[in-house]
Amino acid sequence: MKPDSTWRAFITPFVLLTGPGTIFISITLLLPLLTIVMFSFWRTESYELYADWNLDNYRVLFGEAAYRTFLFRSVVSGALTSLICLVLAWPVAYYIARHGGRYRLLLVLLLAAPFFTGVILRIAALQGILGPGGLINMTLGLAGFAPVKLLMYTPFAATIGHIYLYIPFMVTAIYLSLVNFDFALLDTAKINGAGPFRAFAEVTWPLNWIGTSIGTVLVFIPCLASTITPRFLGGPNATSFGMSLSQQFGETGTWALGSAMSVVMFIFSFLVIAIMSFTIDLRRSGFTGVGK
Amino acid sequence: MIGVTDRTARWRRRPMAGLLNLLYVFLYAPILYVIYASFSQDIVWPFPPAFTSQAYADLVSNSLYSDALINSLIIGLGSGIISTAIATAGVIGILRYPSKRRTLIIVIFLSPLFVAELLIGISSLAFNARILGLPGNMFSAIAANAVEGVAFSFLIILSQLVRYDWQMDEAAMVFGARPTRCFWEVTLPTIWPSLLGAFLISFILAFNNLEISFYNLGAIPTLPSVAWGSLRFGLGPELFALSALTNGFVFLIFAVMYVLMRTGLVKFGYRGK
Amino acid sequence: MSTHDDTVSLSLQDICKQFGPVKAVDGVNLDIRQDEFFALLGPSGSGKTTLLRIIAGLEHPTSGRVMVGGQDVTYMPPYHRRIGMVFQNFLLFPHKTVAENIVFPLRMQNIVKAQRDERLSWAIHLLRLEGLEARYPHELSGGQQQRVSLARGLISRPALLLLDEPLANLDRELRAEMEIEIRRYQKELKIPFIYVTHNQEEALTMSDRIAVMRNGVFEQVGHRTEVYQKPATAFVAGFVGQSNQMEGKVDKVNGSLLAFTWKGTKLVVPHAGDVKAGDPVRFMIKHEDVQVEIASRKAALPANHNRLPGKLRDIIFKGQTVNYLIDLEGGMEIVASGSPRDMKLTAGDLVFVFWPQEAGASFKL
Repeated sequence: MKPDSTWRAFITPFVLLTGPGTIFISITLLLPLLTIVMFSFWRTESYELYADWNLDNYRVLFGEAAYRTFLFRSVVSGALTSLICLVLAWPVAYYIARHGGRYRLLLVLLLAAPFFTGVILRIAALQGILGPGGLINMTLGLAGFAPVKLLMYTPFAATIGHIYLYIPFMVTAIYLSLVNFDFALLDTAKINGAGPFRAFAEVTWPLNWIGTSIGTVLVFIPCLASTITPRFLGGPNATSFGMSLSQQFGETGTWALGSAMSVVMFIFSFLVIAIMSFTIDLRRSGFTGVGK
Repeated sequence: MIGVTDRTARWRRRPMAGLLNLLYVFLYAPILYVIYASFSQDIVWPFPPAFTSQAYADLVSNSLYSDALINSLIIGLGSGIISTAIATAGVIGILRYPSKRRTLIIVIFLSPLFVAELLIGISSLAFNARILGLPGNMFSAIAANAVEGVAFSFLIILSQLVRYDWQMDEAAMVFGARPTRCFWEVTLPTIWPSLLGAFLISFILAFNNLEISFYNLGAIPTLPSVAWGSLRFGLGPELFALSALTNGFVFLIFAVMYVLMRTGLVKFGYRGK
Repeated sequence: MSTHDDTVSLSLQDICKQFGPVKAVDGVNLDIRQDEFFALLGPSGSGKTTLLRIIAGLEHPTSGRVMVGGQDVTYMPPYHRRIGMVFQNFLLFPHKTVAENIVFPLRMQNIVKAQRDERLSWAIHLLRLEGLEARYPHELSGGQQQRVSLARGLISRPALLLLDEPLANLDRELRAEMEIEIRRYQKELKIPFIYVTHNQEEALTMSDRIAVMRNGVFEQVGHRTEVYQKPATAFVAGFVGQSNQMEGKVDKVNGSLLAFTWKGTKLVVPHAGDVKAGDPVRFMIKHEDVQVEIASRKAALPANHNRLPGKLRDIIFKGQTVNYLIDLEGGMEIVASGSPRDMKLTAGDLVFVFWPQEAGASFKL
C-alpha cells in the first residue's frame, strides 16, 4: 500500500508542475544563448560559420573604434533613459498609489496599456508628431518659423523615443511596489519627528528600492538593445550597438562577429542586474518572501 | 489646524498630479493624432478636418496585410496558450508545494524579462538555423515569443495567486474530490480571471512583437514586420490606419481586463471572513 | 496490535511524522469509540494539527498505521476515506451557494439528485439554515458560515468528523453557543468527533475524552474530569485549568503523602510515585482548590490541611469567580479563586491560605 518511495522522491508534484516551464525555458532561451556564446568563438566566411575556435571577433569588437563608439552610445543612452524615467515615474507612481483612491487601477493601466501596441507602431505614431512631416514641425513651418532641428533625426529625438517606449515599465514597477507599501509607516516616521523629505528618504525610498531597481533594469535593457528607435528617430549620428549587431545577422552576414556582440550586450545587461542586486539588502528591503 | 495641513498636502500633491497629466499627454497625443490623421484625407497636414475612410479600405483590400494579420493572430494565440499553461503550472507548483528550489524556479521563470528581445530573437535564429537546421517557421516564432510570454504570465498569475488559500483544495479532497476534479471545480473557478489576464497580455505581446518574430520567421509576414517594412518608406495612410486599429484592439482588451479586475477580484482570495 | 473491535471507529497505531529533523508526531497510539466526542488539546506546535491531517489523509505518517472502521487507510488518499472535516477558516467554496457547498461531498460520491436533495433538506433542518440555501458564503455571518461548514462535514454521514479549531475565528459569545450545539449534534448523530483545540475550556466543555499533546506525544489521555482533577504530568497540570506551582525538596515520604519544603515553608502533599527523600519535586494546585480565611479566624481552620499566613494584595473580579492574590511571608505569591458571593475580604487584610493535604498533585523533577 505504501507508495514506492524511490519513485516518489524525484517525481514530486513540485517537479511535475515546474518541470515543463524549466524545460521550455532551457530549450528556448538557455540553449540558444549558449549557441550564441559558442558562435562568438567561431569564424564566418562568405555567410558560412566555421568552427575554428578563436578570439578574433572580440579583437575586432574592442579594436575598432566604431564598435566602441556604438557600445558607449548605447550604454549611455540606456543609463540616461533609465535615470529620466526614474525621476519622472516616481512622483507619478507615488501619486497614483497614494492618492489614486478607487481609480488607481484605471490610472496605472492607462499608463501601461500603450506599451502593448508594439515598438514599431509606437515609433510610427511618435514620428507623426516629431518627424519633419510631423505635427510640430509642420505647424511651425506653416506659421513661418524654422523647424526644430533637434526633433528631427537626432540622438535627442531617439532619447524621447526611448522614454516614450519604456516609461510604462518604470511606472508599473514602482507602482506595484508602492501599492504593497504600508503608508502608515510614513505617518509613524512623521509622528516620531521626521519631516516629509526625511520620512521619504528614511522609509519610503529604501522600502521601495527593489521595485525601483527592477524598473531601472527593465528600462535599461531594451534601451541597450534598441535598434528601431535610433534607426527611425536617431538619424546618422545615432547608430546603436543593437543596430550594428542586427546588421551582422542581416546584410553583412557575419554571424560570428554578431554573436560576439550579443555576448557583450548580454554581459552588459547582466552587469547592470548585478550592480542593482548588490544595492539590495533583502533583510532591509521589507521583502517577506513569496507564499508560505 | 486641519485646514492648514490640508492645504499644504494639496499644495504638495498638485505638482505630482500635473506631472501625471503631462505623462498622459505625452503618451496619448501621438496615438490620438494617429487615429485622427488616419481618418483624414491629407495625413501630412490634416487641417482643416476632412474625413475619409480610404486608408481603412486600402488596408483591408491589401492582401499583404490580411496574410500578416492571420500570422500575427496565430502567433499571438499559440504563444498566449503555451505561456498561460506553463506559467499556471509553475505558479501552482511553487505556491502549493514548498520546496528548497522555489527561488531557483522563480529566477528561471522570470529570467526572460531580463534578456532583450533582440537577443531572444537572434539567439533563437542562430539555434534554429545553425544547430537544428530549421528554416524560418511559425512554430519557432510561437515558441520564442512564448519565452517572454511565460515570464509575463508567471508574474501576473503569481501576483494574484499568492492570495489563494490552498487549504480550499484540501477541503475539496477531504470531501471526495480527486485532484483533477478539484482543479476544475474549486481551483479554476476561483483563479480564472488571473489566467485570462495572463493569456491576454502574452497574446498581445506576441501579436505585436517585431524583433522576436522577425528573426524566427524569415520571409513570413506579420503585422509588425509589414508595418516596419512600410515605415522604411515613410509614414503612409495605411500605417496610420493599422496603428489606429491596433490601438483600438489593445484598449478593448485592457477595458475587458479592467472590468474583470474590478468585478472578478472582489471575490478573489476569499478566506472565509 | 489491537484486534478488530466493532466499537472502535478509529485506531492510530504507533504514528510518527517527521518533517526534516523535527518530529511533529512521535509514537501516538489511540483508539476512538463509535460514539465519543474526543478532544486533542495542546499548545500550538504540539503536533495536534499534523495528527489530524494524518487522519484525514492530507499527510502520510513516516511510520505507523491509521485504521478506520477496521480498514487500513494509512496511504489511502483523502478523497477515498469518506471522512468529514470542519476547518478553522470554514473554507467554504466562495463561488458556490450554501446548498452547493453542503451537497459537495455527495456530488463527489456520485449520489443521485433525488437522494442529494433529501439529504440536503435533512442537513439544512438539522443546522437551522432554512432560507439561506441560495446565498453565497460572503453573504453569511460568521456563525452561519460555521453551520454551513458543519452541514458540509456531516451530510454524507461520515465514519468520522474531524474539527480543526472550528471556533477559533468566532467571537466569545457565539463560541459558547456553538460549543453546546456541536456537542448536541455529536450526541444525536452518534458519529465520533475528533476536535482539535488549544483552548482547554473548549475541550473540557465539549468532549468526553481528552488527549493532552505536547512535542508530538500524548502527555495524558483520559476522561475530561480525570484530566482536570488527576493530571498525569506537570505539563498537563499547568495546561489544563489554572494552577499555583511550588518547587522544593522532598523531606520524607509517608505512604500516600509526602512532606517537602518550599522556600522554607513545610508542606504535606500527595505522593508523586517514585520520589525519595532529597529528590526535587514540583507541587501544583488549582486556584479553586486553595481557600482563603481571614487571619483572626485561624482557630477555625480544619486539621490535615496546609496552612500558610499571608497578606491579601489584590482581588481580581472575573465575573463568575474572583481571584485573590496573596503575598506570603518570604516573598512568594499564591492565587486562590472563589465565588464572588462570599467576597467578604478586602485588599490589605491579613489572611491564611489553606488546602487539604490530599489536594493537588506533585511531580518528580
